Amino acid sequence: MLAKINWREIIRLVLVVIVALAIGFVITFFTSDEPVKAFWTLLTGPLPQFSLEGGLHITNLNRFGNWIEDSITLVLLGLSVAIVFRAKQFSLGAEGQLLLGALAGGIVALYIPAPPGIHLLLVLLAAAAAGFLWGFIPGLLKAYLNVDEIVSTLMLNVIAAQIYQLALVQWLRDVSSGSVSTPFFPDSATLPLLVPGTRITAGLLLALGAVAAVWWLMNRTPYGYELKVLGSNRRFAEYAGVNTKRVIASSMGISGILAGLAGAHISQGLLKRLTLNLSPGIGFEGIVVALLARNDPIGVLITGLFYGYLRTGGQIMERSTDVTREVVLIIQAVIILLVTAERLFPAFLAWRARRLLEENGEAEA
Amino acid sequence: MSLDVVLSSIFSVAFIATIIRIATPLLLPALGGLISDLGGVINIALEGQMLIAAFTGVVVSAYLPQWFPGWPVWSYALLSGLAGILAALALSWLIAFFHLELRTDIILTGLAINILAAGVTVFILFVLTGDKGSTSQLASLAIPNLFIPFVNTIPLLGTLLNGANGDGYNLLSYAAILLVPVVSLFLYKTRAGIHLRAAGENGPAAGAAGINTRRTQYLALYLSGILAALGGLYLSMGYLTIFQANMTAGRGFIALAIVNLGNRKPLGVLIAALVFGAATALGAQLGTLDVPPQLIEMIPPTITIVALVIYQARRKAKIAANARRFQVESN
Repeated sequence: MLAKINWREIIRLVLVVIVALAIGFVITFFTSDEPVKAFWTLLTGPLPQFSLEGGLHITNLNRFGNWIEDSITLVLLGLSVAIVFRAKQFSLGAEGQLLLGALAGGIVALYIPAPPGIHLLLVLLAAAAAGFLWGFIPGLLKAYLNVDEIVSTLMLNVIAAQIYQLALVQWLRDVSSGSVSTPFFPDSATLPLLVPGTRITAGLLLALGAVAAVWWLMNRTPYGYELKVLGSNRRFAEYAGVNTKRVIASSMGISGILAGLAGAHISQGLLKRLTLNLSPGIGFEGIVVALLARNDPIGVLITGLFYGYLRTGGQIMERSTDVTREVVLIIQAVIILLVTAERLFPAFLAWRARRLLEENGEAEA
Repeated sequence: MSLDVVLSSIFSVAFIATIIRIATPLLLPALGGLISDLGGVINIALEGQMLIAAFTGVVVSAYLPQWFPGWPVWSYALLSGLAGILAALALSWLIAFFHLELRTDIILTGLAINILAAGVTVFILFVLTGDKGSTSQLASLAIPNLFIPFVNTIPLLGTLLNGANGDGYNLLSYAAILLVPVVSLFLYKTRAGIHLRAAGENGPAAGAAGINTRRTQYLALYLSGILAALGGLYLSMGYLTIFQANMTAGRGFIALAIVNLGNRKPLGVLIAALVFGAATALGAQLGTLDVPPQLIEMIPPTITIVALVIYQARRKAKIAANARRFQVESN
């Protein structure tokens, strides 16, 4: 496996990240009174701090926890996007799938009693099923009727958001609570805590399991091969006997499962209940994770951790300096632009070659 | 509230006025989406362009009178609007540069621009005001309403022509409706419009016919940026006179759906925008009747998906029928 690593590509991606961070720093430099401190906080904030005074102490463990919690969501969303991208499809539906996954999981958690262990399993199954359904619908429409998946997934996001609100406000809401939210879930339905002092739960194992499962699916099954062939050339895939319609529809369904599980991680692991603002616009964040990872599942694990680190650093920076965390959004946008600009580097070389030629021409004349 | 009160308020002229107010910031970006769609450069960044125009307009209108006191008020509003348009055009240029020059995927580029706009607006908002939520500390201006004199004495006509408050619709609402025939004329009757549709229909063929498709697609993205900007300006300088973080709230994405629901025709886009506007207005009215507004809000996106399904299914059936006829004839 090691032999397959494309160092050139990795160097390019690392360069992209460095350039994006540099642009972020320049913006901070011109707007902040303490730009160096702000950027230092952004880049080191999520790390736990060790001190040896009076024995070994670990402080700021909660920041480290925030990083891992956020990365779990991002890895699941990144895997979700990676699968559809691999099939050269587009899905912007993660937001809706995530919400409905959380909703389905929440309903099972609150209203279907089951013994411990089995209860959580049922919750996760419900979340996965809801996500699958919400991904499979646009998948079927795209595969069999060629309905544009961008419009359909965006509309399904709107519908899902309304379903979620409707269910929460009309039926699930705990009227004794001041905010619009459900009662807290019973312990049997929440993801068990792994690291005391943080909110790192078995969601971590869920995400790692998902990485392994998607890796296996992509690299060790005929289905993974079909995805790859479809992604590189749909016509060739058809001639080669791949049932492309089935693969398109199912890939979007599987992608929905992962987004649904991301929703379950938020509701069963982090919040332990459903709230009105469950996902403040995290639905599109999987895209940058998958892009940086070149749709590779193990890459998604790394880039998910990286991007989660940056997001958490941004939040800490916002709390402790005069720079808001929106700097991270700007960095994210630059990363997407530069990663997709595959011709940027060759274009730069060509531009330099032209410049050199012109200079030489002038020298000769 | 009883049913007949709700019904009478729905079947009233004031309700039409409400629909127009809600549909304006959908119709304007949808016309922009239509132009870029027909030009073959689908613009996912309408949302971000609306947002940055809304923000720039408010900020410039708050600072301009301080920097250049003594000018007439209308010139401040006008210049602020132009500044908003310029900000959206800058984003159009970014999309065009990355997609047309560096060959990036236009959808990913558009998404990046949306993220950029969401980040930049809040970032600068905080730098300027120390507040991440809104520009409530800035005194910003409005783009004026157009008041039609004399008709307010006539009961129904007054409400219809000057809105429920009787102080007229915003200039941008008039602009939105007038732009429907203008865009239609542009797309179907002018040379540039025909070139634009040709470039979108079949780029290589249009190129072979001597059309500069790259320049045409730059134009398509610029025009859609201007229209999206007008929609954003309406939100922050018409509908409200304040900028709030993420105040577009997905309208740019709804605009993309409106383009599809309207079957990529200017008149269709107008009707589809009114359908979305009517559903939101209806949701607000029925809320008083214990009908959850969320149910009503679900209707337009559902109609959009169903309409796309029907359209594609009919198209498929037509292709199949043609193929069958061809086979029969050739036998």
